[in-house]
Amino acid sequence: MRSLRNLVLRDKELAVLVFMTACVILVLYITLGQRLFSPTGLQSMSVQVSEFGFLALAMAIAMLTGGIDLSVAAAASLAGIMAALVMSGQIIPVTDENSGILFALGIVAALVTGLLCGLLNGFLIAKISVPPILATLSTMILFAGIGMAITTGQSVPVLVPSFAQLSTSAVGNIPIIFIMMVAAFLIVAFVLGRTRLGRRIYLFGENEVALRFSGVRSERVILMSYALIGILVGIAGIIMTSRANSMRVGVGDSYLLQAILVVVLAGFNPFGGKGRIISLAVGLVLLQLLSTAFNALMFSPYAKNFVWGAILLLVMVLNHYVRHWRLRQPPEKPSPPASIDEEESRPSTILVSDR
Amino acid sequence: MQRRSLFRRAFDRPMTSMEKYLLAIILVYIVIVAVKNPQFFSLETLFDMIRNGSGIMILALGVLVVLISGGIDVSFTAIAIVSGYTSVRLMKVLGFDNLLFVILVAVVIGAALGSINALLIHFFRLPTLIVTLGTASAFHGLMAIVLGTKTYTAIDVPQSMLDFGSTSLLTISAERSQYSLSVFFLIVLACIVLTWFLLYRTMLGRTVFAIGSNQESASRIGISLLRTKLFVYCYSGFLSGLMGIIYFSGLSYINPVSLIGTELMIIAAVVIGGAKLTGGEGTILGAVLGIIIVQLFQSTLVFLGLGASWNNLFFGSVLMVSLGVMYYRQRQLNKRSLVFSSN
Amino acid sequence: MIGKPLLTASNISISFGGVKALRGVDFTIGEGEILCLAGENGCGKSTFTKIISGVYTPDAGEIKIGDETVGSLTPRSAIAAGVQVIYQDLSLFGHLSVAENIAVNRMMHDGSKFVRSRAMRDIARQQLERVGVELDLDVPVSTLSVANKQIVAICRALSMEARLLFMDEPTTALTGREVTRLLSIILELKARGLSIVFISHKLDEVFKIADSITIFRDGRKVGDFQANELDELSLSRHMTGRDVTYTRYHRTRPESEPLLEISNLSRKGNYSGIDLAVRPGDIVGLTGLLGSGRTEIALTLFGLNKPDGGEIKVNGKPVILKAPWDAMKHGIALLPEERGSQGLFATQSVEANISVTMLDRILTPMKILNHKTEKALATRVVNEMGVNNKDTSLAVANLSGGNQQKVVLGKWIAREPQIFILDSPTVGIDIGSKSEIYDKIHRLAESGVGVIFISDEPEEIVANCNRIVVMHDGEILERFDESQVRADNFKDELVQIINDPEYRVHQAAGER
Repeated sequence: MRSLRNLVLRDKELAVLVFMTACVILVLYITLGQRLFSPTGLQSMSVQVSEFGFLALAMAIAMLTGGIDLSVAAAASLAGIMAALVMSGQIIPVTDENSGILFALGIVAALVTGLLCGLLNGFLIAKISVPPILATLSTMILFAGIGMAITTGQSVPVLVPSFAQLSTSAVGNIPIIFIMMVAAFLIVAFVLGRTRLGRRIYLFGENEVALRFSGVRSERVILMSYALIGILVGIAGIIMTSRANSMRVGVGDSYLLQAILVVVLAGFNPFGGKGRIISLAVGLVLLQLLSTAFNALMFSPYAKNFVWGAILLLVMVLNHYVRHWRLRQPPEKPSPPASIDEEESRPSTILVSDR
Repeated sequence: MQRRSLFRRAFDRPMTSMEKYLLAIILVYIVIVAVKNPQFFSLETLFDMIRNGSGIMILALGVLVVLISGGIDVSFTAIAIVSGYTSVRLMKVLGFDNLLFVILVAVVIGAALGSINALLIHFFRLPTLIVTLGTASAFHGLMAIVLGTKTYTAIDVPQSMLDFGSTSLLTISAERSQYSLSVFFLIVLACIVLTWFLLYRTMLGRTVFAIGSNQESASRIGISLLRTKLFVYCYSGFLSGLMGIIYFSGLSYINPVSLIGTELMIIAAVVIGGAKLTGGEGTILGAVLGIIIVQLFQSTLVFLGLGASWNNLFFGSVLMVSLGVMYYRQRQLNKRSLVFSSN
Repeated sequence: MIGKPLLTASNISISFGGVKALRGVDFTIGEGEILCLAGENGCGKSTFTKIISGVYTPDAGEIKIGDETVGSLTPRSAIAAGVQVIYQDLSLFGHLSVAENIAVNRMMHDGSKFVRSRAMRDIARQQLERVGVELDLDVPVSTLSVANKQIVAICRALSMEARLLFMDEPTTALTGREVTRLLSIILELKARGLSIVFISHKLDEVFKIADSITIFRDGRKVGDFQANELDELSLSRHMTGRDVTYTRYHRTRPESEPLLEISNLSRKGNYSGIDLAVRPGDIVGLTGLLGSGRTEIALTLFGLNKPDGGEIKVNGKPVILKAPWDAMKHGIALLPEERGSQGLFATQSVEANISVTMLDRILTPMKILNHKTEKALATRVVNEMGVNNKDTSLAVANLSGGNQQKVVLGKWIAREPQIFILDSPTVGIDIGSKSEIYDKIHRLAESGVGVIFISDEPEEIVANCNRIVVMHDGEILERFDESQVRADNFKDELVQIINDPEYRVHQAAGER
């Protein structure tokens, strides 16, 4: 009991999130029990959540560094398009013999595309110092543009038959892609919590300048973060392509808002340096439950959108109160308390770090 | 006395480097297109571009004001649609047909929605991007829930709006066809002048620059942040509402799920015009040039023998390179003056 | 007090997050008085200023302006009452022009709805005339020098018909001549009946202009004094609450080759022709006004500011320092000037703040971070540095300034640097932590580390350094070796040189 109490006290936001999720599960179980929590219901939820989970994970990493990645959805669909092109027979005709190779090539194509997209973002942010919002805004348009130019907006079908099975097959009752997503969460959690890169990502998000003054190659941290984001996005692209058995530009665009929503919902600080993968996982469960429930209740996509937007605002307002309830701060200080005591700040003529 | 360039005399300031750079891109592009396809050089093309670009030009002015204040707003397309569609529906319910009424209702709704943004941003000190992402979905979703998403084709569009969309300032008859300069041009000009006047000739406008420059300093000298932010987001909402009506009138087709999704493109256009996310900087001319580039690509790639599907590729590349040039220079400057900036 | 009381604040208290920043402070200033508000960093001076200017609302207390009791002030009502504050950061708008910066406030309070550029320029010109300075009205303020920005800030305050002007550390970034100009402007304003609260930690300036001195310590008022009742010693005793004497550092190591040798090092716009040698056990004081080039050299030595010419030798071998990790490879460490923005990860734990320079040391054989090793490392550093909070999982923002600085110091000391550059290591730190930090630095030097100690506080330089280099305008103005530093009246000489480098420059030119 004691340890549970400590656990709750250590991360109040997570505790609140878990509590909310539990309530939602309870309410949904009572109202929609059979439809939602049957084995098939759970299975279909786990498939849906997987596709989106990778993008959420990517967005979470970007936010930990104090940035944001507006290009995740566009990059995922571009990666999917590349995979689909390889397997569409448009470049190499698909035969029974080479379908295995094409399958592999398709996956490689998607991963490489994702990685390159991520590296391009990383390069713009780390080496050119373009603010992340703008860098990823420009690449978002660019990636969509590349996809559009290649496909002229047409859907690219996948002719390799086994590819669609990727998203339908399961081990026992658990879909493979769900296992992949869980694995990705575990790996990213491990990287963030137990490796030097992970530690540096948090520190970068907290204070990039101090990281450089500590002798860390901070630009490399950003490049690596966005490379990692790229790979996750590539996998998302593969799953999206596999589920639809085809790919076109613009698929998954609606995930952008949801990805930002779930990451903020999970208590990540949009200014960087704070957020836990476990919270993200809980947030994702919550979001998927709601989404499925809305589907079951026949909500229109617009109504869903309304709820997402409202939740996003509500969560931010709640977080605002949670923060200020804990500590009364001098009123005119904006967002994250970067410096410590204003008495101590010195006149800074040249060495200011301006945001 | 030293001779001043035409530009200096007209604008009372030197041209910014981003403006020069954009102007150069536009000129080079026009030359290339014209060489490839002389047909491009016609009043018809120009009039078409003005007509098609007037809506996003109006939106861009709102974006510019928000950026100068140090914020970023992605809800303006949603506000345009919501206020435009709601006012049309209201007019249909009331059963009459008056352009002035529909515009008035639209801009009031737009300004009201903008004020919601401002209040959320001010009182909860939330990041503007995430707030407006939220409100964009919430506004549009709410509209769709309450009013539905029924579309109106030309037969059902109020006659006053159809007339408005086809009003022309001047019509030129050629051998086979005639083309006309839409009345929208005048409205865009009026909006530009209004924005210029508000930003540069009113104290309120100067406080927008002030809070974008340094919010804390602004509040220290007694500038009301709430009042300035209310102005900024209401004005953006006001322009969005106006644009909503122009947009529907121009298309003669009312689709309440269109337009949304283009907001980032418009922000991008304003950003390459030299407006910084950090606030305090940005020029109307820059925003106009940025929109011209977007519009040029959108309507003239055909002259290069490229389909519309090349739009994003072109604009994305220009955007990326422009941002790269702009921020790389800043980076070098910071390095030299030992500013350890974290964006 | 001279004249009638202009502003009386009584029994002002305020606390932030449970920390009492001001406890029952009384304060009075008369018309036409220059009052100096003195106190150590963190004593509540700035908080008090912000209460008077309406930024903070006090938890308790009463403020009277003239005979009128004002409940609580807002920024607007404070300005309307004639209170103007010139903050350390000057609060100007870099993107707006000089004229606009000066006049925007005036026009706003006049209720102007529109920008009347002629009126604006008139106001600006008028105020500039009042202080007797000429500036181009149309250039953006961001292009001005700090001293001229200061003038713009003063003009803006004057344009509001200020009756009471607060100036928070206005001279820190100014050169000697600029300080003289500013002080004469202040005296001029006083002569016209303006009351001025002057906040400065430079005692000589305080005595030059103050009529009276009010001293704060730990959020309480120690007392009000006439300027002629105090001297530097008694003032600093009142400020710190005790007689502060630091043990002087003397180098005891045998003569040896320098660890670090800089010859003819130059960087355009920063510094030029710098020669400097640091032996093991040296604490070389690098001093001079802000902008004299001292911090720029420190950054160069840490690989953050590439030099144009000259040579840097470590252990006799020439090295190229392109990045911090190059510098670290050669055993160079830098304690940066700005602790908050350059040294700390505020909301991260003490552990993470310490281990950041040594992540390679806390890996398991599998290259995984070992949290146990990290904790042990952090605990060791915390104990060694005498950080008062032993819970290393606590966010570093919760520590006091002194303890934060100990953490930043500790993260470098644990790496065992051979050359340690300390840029203003005790700014904003209480006296207790200060002497602990000095002690630590002395022991470090005794163990054979070469230290470069950057500071503009003469007391600190004299107490800690066995060699001193004074910089001015990017060049070395004067050097003092061990025997000179030990001379009796050396501190006074040093104060004089730091504060009036131009005099020394002219003197040198005259001799030649």
